[in-house]
Order: sequence, then C-alpha cells, then structure tokens
Amino acid sequence: MIEFIDIHKRFGSNVVLDGVSITVDTGQVLYIIGASGAGKSVLVKHLIGLLRPDSGRIILDGEDITWLDEEGFYPIRRKCAMVFQNSTLFDSMTLLENVMLPLRKHHKMGRKEAAKAARAKLELVNMDRDADQYPAAIGDGLRKRVAIARALTLDPQFVIFDEPTTGLDPMAAATVDDLIRSLRSDAGVTCVVVSHDLRSIFTVADRIAMIYKGKIRLDGTPEQFRNSDDGVIHQFVNGLPEGPMSV
Amino acid sequence: MNGALKSLASSVGGAVLAIAETIGGAVTLLFRILRALFPPRYDAEGVWRSFYNVGVKSYPIVVMTALFVGAIMVIQTAFYVKKTGATGIIGYGVGFSVFAEIGPILIGLMFSGRVGANNTAELGTMVVTEQVDALRALAIDPLPYLVVPRFLAMLGMLTLLMVLGDLFAIVGAALTAQLLVGFHWRVLVADLLQSRLLDEFTMGLVKAACFGISISCISCYFGLAVRGGATGVGRAVNNSVVSNATAIFVIDFVVGYLYSL
Repeated sequence: MIEFIDIHKRFGSNVVLDGVSITVDTGQVLYIIGASGAGKSVLVKHLIGLLRPDSGRIILDGEDITWLDEEGFYPIRRKCAMVFQNSTLFDSMTLLENVMLPLRKHHKMGRKEAAKAARAKLELVNMDRDADQYPAAIGDGLRKRVAIARALTLDPQFVIFDEPTTGLDPMAAATVDDLIRSLRSDAGVTCVVVSHDLRSIFTVADRIAMIYKGKIRLDGTPEQFRNSDDGVIHQFVNGLPEGPMSV
Repeated sequence: MNGALKSLASSVGGAVLAIAETIGGAVTLLFRILRALFPPRYDAEGVWRSFYNVGVKSYPIVVMTALFVGAIMVIQTAFYVKKTGATGIIGYGVGFSVFAEIGPILIGLMFSGRVGANNTAELGTMVVTEQVDALRALAIDPLPYLVVPRFLAMLGMLTLLMVLGDLFAIVGAALTAQLLVGFHWRVLVADLLQSRLLDEFTMGLVKAACFGISISCISCYFGLAVRGGATGVGRAVNNSVVSNATAIFVIDFVVGYLYSL
C-alpha cells in the first residue's frame, strides 16, 4: 500500500502541491490526472525519493520512507520502478543493453544470461526485433516501450508510469494498457499512472485522483468521475476548451 | 561613488563566492570518489570503457601536441645556443622544459579541452534528459557508475599519456634539431640523457596525475550540477574549460614550487 499524507511541495514561490493526500491499495491501478503543470509528476517522484516534500509523509507498505537518505532509497527503488515521461533511455547503450543494465547490476547476471532475460522483457512490449538499435535510431513511442521493459526487469511490486501512452499510436497505446492490466491481474503489481489519455484512464483505472491547484479535487472511481457535476472535473473528463480551468 | 563601490564589492563578492562554490563542489566530489574506492565500489566495465574513451581516443592529440612541443623547444633553445656557442646545454634545455613545464601544461590543456569538456557535456546532457535520475530510479548510484570510472581513467591515462608525450616530444625535438636547426639528433639525445632529468621527469608525471584528478573532479562537478537544458549544458562546459585551465596553472605552480624546496 502507498500512502501520500498531506504532501506540500513548492519550487521557489511556485506552490505545486498544497496538502495532497492519496492512498493506493495493493494491486490497484490508480490514475493521477490533472492539467499540464498540475504537479502529477512531481507527486510520483516523491515515492522513489527523486524529490523530497517540504512537509508531509510518504508510507510504503507501512514503512515511513519520507526522510530516507539516498542509500536508504535504493531498496525502495528496486521494488518500486518508474517509467519516465521522456523514456530516459541511456543513449550510449543499445536497447538490449538498456534493459540488461538493472539485471547485471542487481542480479549479478552474466552477459548472456542477462541478454536472454532482457530479450524476454523486450518481447513483452514487442521490441525484441529492434534490440540492437540505439535509442537515437528509433521514435519516441518505441523508446517509451523499451523504457517500460527496462522498468519491469527487476519484477517490481509497484510501478509508476509517467504518461506511458503519450506519443504512442493507438495500437501501441492499447498494448501498454493491456500490459498495465496484466501487471495488476497476473502479478498483483500496484500501478500509479500519470496520464492525460482519457481512453486509457476510463478503460484501465480502478481509481482516479485529480490534482487541481495543488490539491486533490476528486479521488474516486471512473464512474464517479463520469457522473461528477463538478465543473472542473466535467471540463477535464470531456476535454472541453471552455470552463473553470484555464487552458 | 557609493553606488559604484557597492556594485564593485558585489561583483567581487559574487566572483569569490562562485570560486569557493566550485572549489568546494569539486573537493567534496573528490572525497566522495575516494570513499567509493575504499573498499572498491565502482563499475569495472565502465572503468575499461572510460580508459578506452579517455586514453586510446586521446593519444593522437597528445602525440601531435608533444611533437610540436619538442620542436618548438629546440627552435627556441637553438637560438640561444647558437648565439652563446653553449651547444652542451641544448639537450638539457629541451629536456627540462619538455619534461617539467611546457610538456605537462600543454598536454594537460589539450587533454582538458578534449576529455574534460566532453565529460561535462556528456554528464550535463544526461542530467537534463533525466538519464541520471533514471539511473537513480533503477537503484544504481551514479557516483560509482558514472563518476569513479571517469576519475580512474583520467588519473591513469593522463599520467600514461604524459610518458608517451615526453617520448614523442623528444622525437619531435630530435627531428627538428636534425632537419631544421642543424644539430645532429644524436648530440641532442646524448646530451639529454647525460643531463639526468629524472626529477624533472617525475615532476611532470606528478603534475599529470594532479591534472588528471582536477580535470575529472571539475568536469564531473560541472556536468552533474547542470540546470536549465541546453543553455545550462553550454554554460557548464564553458565554466568547466575555464576552471580546468585555471586549475592546471595553479597546480603547475604549486607542484613546481614544492619541487624547488
């Protein structure tokens, strides 16, 4: 279980999170939505210690991880993987080497064994044929798929996806959605997904939380979001240019 | 007048703070690197890769620099030797300058321009494209994985490259003496060997090792401290090149002074 309790975060004078509290149950898929710059990515980066809150607490499986030092976060990061918004593949390595890296570092696998395991992960996202390419030689969407494969190499219990379907074609986006669903149903993985992709949100999410002006506007089921009469929620869910949210 | 003084004090203060921040950052990084070395905690594959990138790819520029350093020193020394007729000091003059002063400084500057600037740009780009955060997210500490291999490679390879540079500087000096100045190359080499310049040679290697340490720490420090996208990377590379060049002259002075005691 993941608990964000009263998280506050500001950058200079810009208050990004102003008392955000969310709980994600084990095996659940939570989508965090909100306008660009609302603080969704900022919030999820707190979970693996890439950002530290100004105040508030983060509890992971009953352990308060808020003020762990960098070294203390390494065991957390091994069980809680993150797929970044910009893929962040290492451009000096081939796609296969990118996926092999965590295996070689943490499971102390030999080159051949790690390559075999990495190819299996690349197959999950249909990228095994391009394994020997470098990240610069493929498109954004394909890079994102490899980043997902890399995040899954250590078989994490928790996965944070930061806009996993942005930039993907509809078929690839559907593959990612299926992958998130199968992670939940087959492996019981808890997923926190930051997304703007309404189709994915309403077909995959168990729960949705919307951040607006640094606070949680609504934390509920997809049904609750569809039926909400809150003007902000209605505008976002229906993708309307006019409404209380400034575009 | 008062305003101008305040502005001057503010500029000087700002510059002093910036220098202190750079020195503090680089020295802190050096201590963190040393901590990672005892007991050894670094990426062995990365070390070999860095040795190749830093050493093998740098030797052409070092050889070229060294050949010209040797040639220039012969031409400069020959002018005085011909004027005074003291042909016995040509080997000593060339050897002293090449081993102890001009050789280490010029090779250090070329190395810093090629390897140090490249290192800052590479690490800076990794920071702004979140590749360093991605490493941290994969529970891989960037220090032993990215910084320590570069430190070992720059320390080891610049020292070795200095030996290579000294050798090629002598070749450059001998060729120039023979072909352009009218001294037989054997005279120059024999004089150089008789001059017993072991202290100068070791001084050059000590300088090279110190340059390697400072170039790695300064370039990694600026690379990892990049903020603000492509502009930030450009600014960091610029700061890294200037700081490395300054550090090379300061180290050259300090080591030279200590050897003179």
